[in-house]
Amino acid sequence: MAGVRLEHLAKAYDKGPLVIRDVNIDIKDKEFVVLVGPSGCGKSTLLRMIAGLESITGGHLYIGDRRVNEVPASERDIAMVFQNYALYPHMTVFENMAFGLKLRGLPKEEIRQRVEKAARMLEIETLLDRRPKDMSGGQRQRVAIGRAIVRNPQVFLFDEPLSNLDAKLRGQTRIELQKLHRELNATMIYVTHDQVEAMTLGDRIVVLRNGDVMQQDTPLNLYNHPANQFVAGFIGSPPMNFLPGRICADGPLRFESRGGMLGIDLSEYPQAATLRAYQGKPVVLGIRAEHIRRRPGPNERRFFRRLVPVEAVENMGSETMVYFPLETQRFIARLSADYPIPADQPLDLFWDLGKLHFFDAETEVAIR
Amino acid sequence: MLRYLLLTLAAASFLYPFIWMVSASLSSENGLSSLTLLPVEPTWSNYVNMFSKIPLGRAFLNSVLVAVVTTGLVLVSGAMAGYALARMRFRGRNLIFYLIIFTMTLPMQITLIPNYISMVKLGWVDTYFALIMPFVLNSLSILLFRQAFMGLPQALIDAARLDGCGELRIIFQILLPNILPTVLTITILTFMGLWNEALWPLIVIRDEPTMTMPQLVTLFSVGGRAEAQLGVKIAAAVMLALPIVVLYLFFQRHFIRSMASSGLKD
Ligand SMILES: Nc1ncnc2c1ncn2[C@@H]1O[C@H](COP(=O)(O)OP(=O)(O)OP(=O)(O)O)[C@@H](O)[C@H]1O
Ligand SMILES: [Mg+2]
Repeated sequence: MAGVRLEHLAKAYDKGPLVIRDVNIDIKDKEFVVLVGPSGCGKSTLLRMIAGLESITGGHLYIGDRRVNEVPASERDIAMVFQNYALYPHMTVFENMAFGLKLRGLPKEEIRQRVEKAARMLEIETLLDRRPKDMSGGQRQRVAIGRAIVRNPQVFLFDEPLSNLDAKLRGQTRIELQKLHRELNATMIYVTHDQVEAMTLGDRIVVLRNGDVMQQDTPLNLYNHPANQFVAGFIGSPPMNFLPGRICADGPLRFESRGGMLGIDLSEYPQAATLRAYQGKPVVLGIRAEHIRRRPGPNERRFFRRLVPVEAVENMGSETMVYFPLETQRFIARLSADYPIPADQPLDLFWDLGKLHFFDAETEVAIR
Repeated sequence: MLRYLLLTLAAASFLYPFIWMVSASLSSENGLSSLTLLPVEPTWSNYVNMFSKIPLGRAFLNSVLVAVVTTGLVLVSGAMAGYALARMRFRGRNLIFYLIIFTMTLPMQITLIPNYISMVKLGWVDTYFALIMPFVLNSLSILLFRQAFMGLPQALIDAARLDGCGELRIIFQILLPNILPTVLTITILTFMGLWNEALWPLIVIRDEPTMTMPQLVTLFSVGGRAEAQLGVKIAAAVMLALPIVVLYLFFQRHFIRSMASSGLKD
């Protein structure tokens, strides 16, 4: 087993612009790292560079202690699971899983044992004689994972392996992947644009945008302490609510919304001191949907109270989403489903001041 | 009902000349004039006569050898060139592709003489090389392979590379089995074209033991050796057509099956 280290990694396709810029990630042995970001941000490119399927334009890539920039894909001791499974259509499941081992010249008996062991683990023993086209998407996915497992690689790479499955199967497979990670005890690098997958699977999440690493941290740290507005908006569902405005510190510390409709007294805000430095400057306020409540907590002074017109109500059963307009923005509050919420009456809501985020409006960096 | 009538008519109009040809080859020379559809005074004598006059067995083997070897080489070269053009990134790739397309527009009459001169300079006249080498690079085959390879998912190639395949193994062990309809189309087109080729052998082969069937049959029919016996000429023509008919009947089933079963999904 081994870690993977990316040092100043860069990539340009055919003299084009850089699609990966100065990426530094140190992935520890046995760690489960998720690369996440919007479409086109370079997740697949980065993963394919690690796999050896794309050349590296700049920087260094280490697997274990070995620099592998120029090592061919088949000699990097990695296995990859593709979004479309990429099973060989003309081979049976057994042949698909055995193919790589055969090319490595393993004895027949050992190949059989390894394939059967992986098949047992993934509960696909009865499918070994089938061909890919005679299986469901979920079964193909298992075979694709099986093909990676039999290789016994140092590092597993996954490129959006669940995106072709339906929601229910995706949920199940997510749990099985976690289990698999524990059982195999291997380093895993996982690409997805689905932040739920990222939050649930990763020991650590790396958020990418346009080829840059925006932040890398544990799921909870990303959620609670986003380093910038992009991460704040990308991680979490529904996305964080944002409201542009500015800081006023001539009297008591206040946030004034740009439209002037909203003034929030921030004297109880935990990081009031840092905010003071932004006196008069444009900032963006952020608050997550679940931090806007029906009732204040015991310490009422730490809440900002406001009556809002309700635009729409979504009853999810376990919780209720309330949509309300605020200047140019549409806000979402995630409320308990215990009380019915009439859609045609204004609603009194309490914002948890301790959970507010502020971002520099120019650099989008979090103010902390 | 009308549809079946029309189809039957069409089938009959295709079949009639062929049946007539077979019947004529089996009729006696005298009976030919009164032939309608069935052989008149049936006899094998036309065939016996023909086989005694020309080495048709040897020519048949030559034809098989040339067609099989050349078709094999066309498949290999076409697959390799098509793969490079479809899947590899290198400078001048499009230029090369358009040049290959351009050669398809050149009529064969233009290249006939230069090719012949090449054969003479290479000392290949009257050898199998002259029958094989000019045909092993086939632009249509390259084009068809390129299109087929472009239609396959890149991940298939990536997976194979991670499994430890080199380019050749990727082409022949991973990709080709998934484009069998294309392989079969190219095989049939190339094989038929080579089998029926009479002009080029007439130019580069003068040595009877190296001749292919079409050449030998042509020489036999238009040259004086059939002694103006129509039945014998027709018997030779039947021998020429027979392998293609058999091959077609055999391939037809496979053709349809491979079309239906290649259900590749991306
Ligand atoms: N073969 C290629 N040649 C040129 N540019 C490419 C190639 N592959 C990807 N790109 C570009 O590189 C950038 C990153 O692409 P990449 O496929 O890595 O994105 P991604 O994050 O995986 O997106 P998605 O979520 O849609 O899969 C994109 O701007 C894309 O257009
Ligand atoms: Mg991708």
